[in-house]
Amino acid sequence: MKRFLTLIFIVSNLFGNDQIPGTIQRRPILLKGGILHTVSGDVLKGYDLLFANGKIVRVEKEILPSPETEVFDIYDLHVSPGFIAPVSQLGLVEIGQVKQSRDFAEIGDINPNVRANVSYNPDSEIIPVTRSNGILMANVNPASGRISGQSSLMMLDGWTWEDATLMHPTALHLNWPNMRIRKGKTPKDTEKKQREKIQKEVQALDDFIREAKAYDKRTSVKLINAEEKQIVDIRLASMKPYIRGTKPFFIHANEVRQMEAAIRWGNKHQLDIVIVGGRDSWRMTDMLVHYNIPVILQSVLTTPMRRFEPIHRPYETPKLLAENGVRFCIAPKTGYPHNGNIRNLPYEAAMAVRHGLDMEDGLRAITLSAAEILGVEEKVGSLDNGKDATFFLSDGNPLDITSTVVKAFIQGREVDLGDRHKSLYEKYKEKYRQLGKIEQ
Amino acid sequence: MIQRIIVTFIFICGIIYPQIEPIKDLHSNPPRVWALTHGMVHTEPGKFLKNATIIIRDGKIASVGRYIKIPMDAYEIDLEEAHVYPGFIESWFEVKKSSSHEKSRNHWSSKIRSEYQVVDDFKPDEKILNNLHSLGFTTAHIVPDAGIFRGQSAVVNLTQNPVSLNPSVSQIMNFEYAGWESKEYPHSLLGVIALMRQTFYDARWYQEAIGKLAKYPEENEPIKLNAALEVLAQSMGQTDPFTFMTRDEHYSLRGLKILKEFNLKPWLLGNGFEYRRLKEISSVKPFIIHPLNFPEKPKVLDPNRALQYSTEQLKHWDMAPDNIFALVEEGIHVAFSSHGLKKKQDFRKNLQNIMDRGLHEDIALASLTTIPAEKMGLEKSIGRIAQGMMGNLVIVDGDYFDPKSRVFSLWIGGDEHKIAPRFLPNFKGKWNVSIGNKVYTLELKKPKPGGKKGSKPSAGKLGGTLSLENLSEKLTQIDIFESEISFSINGSPFGFDGFLTFKGSLEKDHITGSLIDASGKDFDWNGIRIEMKPPKPRTKKKASVLALAYPEGAYGFTSKPHQPNAILINDATIWTSGPKGILEEWDILFEDGKVKKIAPDIRVPKGSATLIDGLGRHVTPGLIDAHSHSAASSINEGAQNVTAEVRIQDVLDGDDISIFRELAGGLTTANILHGSANPIGGQNAVIKLRWGKAPDGLLFKQAPQGIKFALGENVKQANWPGSRYPQTRMGVEQVMRDAFLSAKSYKVRKANYDKNSRLQRIKIPPRYDLELEALVEILDGDRLVHCHSYRQDEIMMLIEVAEDFGFTIATFQHVLEGYKVAEKIKAHGAGASTFTDWWAYKFEVYDAIPYNGALMTKNGVNVSFNSDSDELARRMNLEATKAVKYGNLSEVEALKLVTINPAQQLQIDEWVGSLEEGKDADFVVWDGPPLSVFSTCLETWVDGTLYYSQALAKKMEERDQTLRTDLIQKILSTPSTSSGKSIFPNAEHHRDHVGCDISDEYRFLEIAQ
Repeated sequence: MKRFLTLIFIVSNLFGNDQIPGTIQRRPILLKGGILHTVSGDVLKGYDLLFANGKIVRVEKEILPSPETEVFDIYDLHVSPGFIAPVSQLGLVEIGQVKQSRDFAEIGDINPNVRANVSYNPDSEIIPVTRSNGILMANVNPASGRISGQSSLMMLDGWTWEDATLMHPTALHLNWPNMRIRKGKTPKDTEKKQREKIQKEVQALDDFIREAKAYDKRTSVKLINAEEKQIVDIRLASMKPYIRGTKPFFIHANEVRQMEAAIRWGNKHQLDIVIVGGRDSWRMTDMLVHYNIPVILQSVLTTPMRRFEPIHRPYETPKLLAENGVRFCIAPKTGYPHNGNIRNLPYEAAMAVRHGLDMEDGLRAITLSAAEILGVEEKVGSLDNGKDATFFLSDGNPLDITSTVVKAFIQGREVDLGDRHKSLYEKYKEKYRQLGKIEQ
Repeated sequence: MIQRIIVTFIFICGIIYPQIEPIKDLHSNPPRVWALTHGMVHTEPGKFLKNATIIIRDGKIASVGRYIKIPMDAYEIDLEEAHVYPGFIESWFEVKKSSSHEKSRNHWSSKIRSEYQVVDDFKPDEKILNNLHSLGFTTAHIVPDAGIFRGQSAVVNLTQNPVSLNPSVSQIMNFEYAGWESKEYPHSLLGVIALMRQTFYDARWYQEAIGKLAKYPEENEPIKLNAALEVLAQSMGQTDPFTFMTRDEHYSLRGLKILKEFNLKPWLLGNGFEYRRLKEISSVKPFIIHPLNFPEKPKVLDPNRALQYSTEQLKHWDMAPDNIFALVEEGIHVAFSSHGLKKKQDFRKNLQNIMDRGLHEDIALASLTTIPAEKMGLEKSIGRIAQGMMGNLVIVDGDYFDPKSRVFSLWIGGDEHKIAPRFLPNFKGKWNVSIGNKVYTLELKKPKPGGKKGSKPSAGKLGGTLSLENLSEKLTQIDIFESEISFSINGSPFGFDGFLTFKGSLEKDHITGSLIDASGKDFDWNGIRIEMKPPKPRTKKKASVLALAYPEGAYGFTSKPHQPNAILINDATIWTSGPKGILEEWDILFEDGKVKKIAPDIRVPKGSATLIDGLGRHVTPGLIDAHSHSAASSINEGAQNVTAEVRIQDVLDGDDISIFRELAGGLTTANILHGSANPIGGQNAVIKLRWGKAPDGLLFKQAPQGIKFALGENVKQANWPGSRYPQTRMGVEQVMRDAFLSAKSYKVRKANYDKNSRLQRIKIPPRYDLELEALVEILDGDRLVHCHSYRQDEIMMLIEVAEDFGFTIATFQHVLEGYKVAEKIKAHGAGASTFTDWWAYKFEVYDAIPYNGALMTKNGVNVSFNSDSDELARRMNLEATKAVKYGNLSEVEALKLVTINPAQQLQIDEWVGSLEEGKDADFVVWDGPPLSVFSTCLETWVDGTLYYSQALAKKMEERDQTLRTDLIQKILSTPSTSSGKSIFPNAEHHRDHVGCDISDEYRFLEIAQ
């Protein structure tokens, strides 16, 4: 099938060269007879998809092309909306252990003002490797301290970070305080002390929200004194959309006590919150549903939190969330040493499918659900008229490991599917050809 | 031993009576002959004399019995039916080292201080003595408080100027290590065990060397004197006991294993977990000193907090007090200690608890007296009340084993130490008070609680009333001190003048005193007790009814796993990973733990085999992970650049839940490797995932021995602070070459010595060196090298080094740039065990590609995929699938990456790795094609034993959930007790991606003092 496809498409994989961002879509393209995973609706077998000017125009059983339309027969190929990594440090770090290449952790505890996309390196070698498996968008987030900063949703192609930004900001990231009572490091570190410390940490968050609200109020009224207008607090100023509830807090929390406290905190201050992590989310689905809190589940391919928990519980968590009506999407693992393997996101969803989640729900968990939680469901996440032509073609079930992504488009621009790994592969195949060790 | 006891004994008599020290003022010669009469005397466990007399003369017991004539010169003390026991022995008391003994003077390691004698530093203060005395301890086994070889323990009498009864009882050993941050070797459990073993070998060698030197001074160069080794060698020669301090049952087994290797007498400081590996521990019958310290109640009030506790911890709370009884039942000798108790008075409560649960009083008494006395070589002087024994007695106002009774006097070395008054003044109850000719009733009692907010009725704060016929008056003030009482009352209702002030003193059940009225007139009064409040009846504690699980925690087996004689799978798709390839709708028969037959159709007599319907199912060999760190309690000993002496087999942990989780992914064999902190790391252990077995039961017995090497960033400490040599890849090569050069010279030196009898007679032998022994085995081709490597340059460097020294690397591990030099690896003959797709986490893996495995395979290299992670190891089949995706290997070839190929690399392919007749019955039943992400593992069998099935796991899960709920209910319904050994919740010790880089110590954070 692949061979057939390369015949009909212009060969654009420039192995051995660096990847070049795709050119803007100039002519409408009609893909005929594919298996379309619309995600918003059914799987449409043998349907046509027309896209022009970077947008999906129509999805129908039979579309007649206009004369300027390029037409491709994609019989037996699957078309899926581009996968979305809802949290990651893609482009913010190249090599985890090399400090010079790390740009996701600003110093200090309170950094609501920093924004991720300005330090997103569009030439990171990890980006092409990631999109080779169909991940075409990634929300990149700062990750340090208590309030880490603002994340940005990036398209995984573009000459500059400005080109690549699909939306900024998407959310403010907050690491919820650890609420476990542990063995004290010293005898003085008693249970009481630890509880007081936790309380203080939560109190500090309350205080900061109050301060931000007060700042908002002061700067929203017309000030008489011109001098006072000049007094700016860059941290507090950046909090406006979040304390007004127009943008969400992404609260990183895994343990049930943390999540409960975070939700109560969000309610108290009338904030829009999303839980990131959520490994214990299956324990508290009622509360999540009651307050309509979405979960960015991170991740499926992980071990249970506790020894006594069912051995496959992380695999089963998506099913449990879906059954109980919790809104969720699936995220890859982040942080050292996982940044290079965001590409395995579809296999996270596949494992969830193997353990009870419906196949199409599995796909939804890394496409439309993620788009909804990130607030971009109007633009991406499904194959619907008017949405961005950000999707990919694969030669099998998009969640299957053995499937290969054969074509990908981001806003109608064709993506170069070459990457560092394929280049090195080609380079060393050549070495062994020269040595006569391998044939082709 | 006997000789020493006699010597010691003479020594004791020497200092007790005729004084050596000069007299400071005048001679003090108090009388030393006493007759203790009317005692309830427990002369020894099981022997009891009612109304007996004990004669003490000059520090010793002159006689004991019922009808003894009191010597003319003896002073009689009437015990008034008090109970008398032989002085108790505190079997573990740690003594803080004085600063002058901080460092070992002789050994290179500051933690080897075997020559240290704790008795030199024992200067107890009054508080310590009071604490011990109040529990009835007259004697203590004192031990040093720091070090790996801590030094020699001693037995002393507990007096201000302690008298040593045996200055050298046992060498105390502790698995002490400082952790990853420490620079001093050893910083891990792995290293501690290796150092212990090496030190024993050194002691033997030292003794021989000193002997040769003395005999042939002209033939040998003098060696540096080393008192630490000398003392050790002596103890080893004299069959002295060696005591291991242990934190849990794993440590018990580790200690016993070391002592067995050197044939030494095993003692243990118990930990309360021994019941979990009772069979293995009791097989060598160690003497166990057991602190009577049980876990505190887990804090489960908040259900979310309860989640922090592993079920194993909840269960241990219920079962720990039964541990001693379980040990005793196995015939193990146990002695008791109050070591580690937060409150000393808990000692007797806990003692009562274990007796409630089944321990017989005689054994309890023996554990406090005769057992430790005999073990410590003092059965002729302490532990019993008999003629000639030391005058060490405990005198109790009742049964010692009822914690309400009081120890009121101790005799140590024939001298009395008063602890408390013989009778505790107790004014509570009703009294007939006679004043003049009238008899009043006085009632004294504690006021009911809840009167005043926050005020608790405390001892001594009594209230009361005085009454005569219908008249009754409350006492207005009351003051009690010891046996003196005074109170006041309005006397007018009784016809007195104003307020009356009473004073009186108590003796047993009588109060005598006087009272004064308002006018100053005084009267005599006396009180006779007419009623005493009976003590509340006590409900006895019950032994735990829970069954043991192997292992504890979750998913443990409570009975033996299913092991049928034969298993027949019909009509399955069999992925043999052998020459037969994939066989569709074939049958396979396993018998006695082996593959018996593979054929299109196999029939067996009905009922002779467990049948598995294979239709639509797939059967593969058990998967093999050639690089894992599961099931090990310690991974890295990185304090030195070469640590070939450390062994993973010493630190295996069969209770690691990873084992079960990995079985659930079809894994049956794993190569447990040392970490990658240093160029030459420790020895690996190949295990089979026999869930529930003790650590030694996991070992893949036939697997050849191996060792971990490492190259690149980790060993040059590039990613964390460090200044150990080497800091470059250049230095790494030099470390390798240096190590093998010294191994070569060691080998030659040893061989020369071994074949020359003249040398053997006169020369000091070469020192036996565990590290060099392992390296020599590599040179001899007897030890497989598994080398952590990334870059092509370092891979080729090691190939060159190995070839220069004439050996072959068994596997390059990770070998992420192996694809760049595949032909070199092939030519050298090494295998390659790689990650599938990890990259970009550090600089040396920037060129890692997922096509690595396929490219090396296509160059003829034997390739396997490994996990290096407890998480990945649960889905090695899906890792194999990535070789189909990246590089187009066939599915058959891909499966081999996690079956026969790693088996060949570990040289265990004779037994595992493929389904061929005669091989081990290690197999997995899948519900679909094994390489599909949508398939799952249904059953995993190891050696023909069913260690995992979906159904089994489900059943265990439900069982454990019920157990957990029941235990939490029980904890919530048990009244609060404030003290106990602190438990630190361990359920959430989450390990996900665990690679070579991790530091040590994760499992044992949970229990500490």
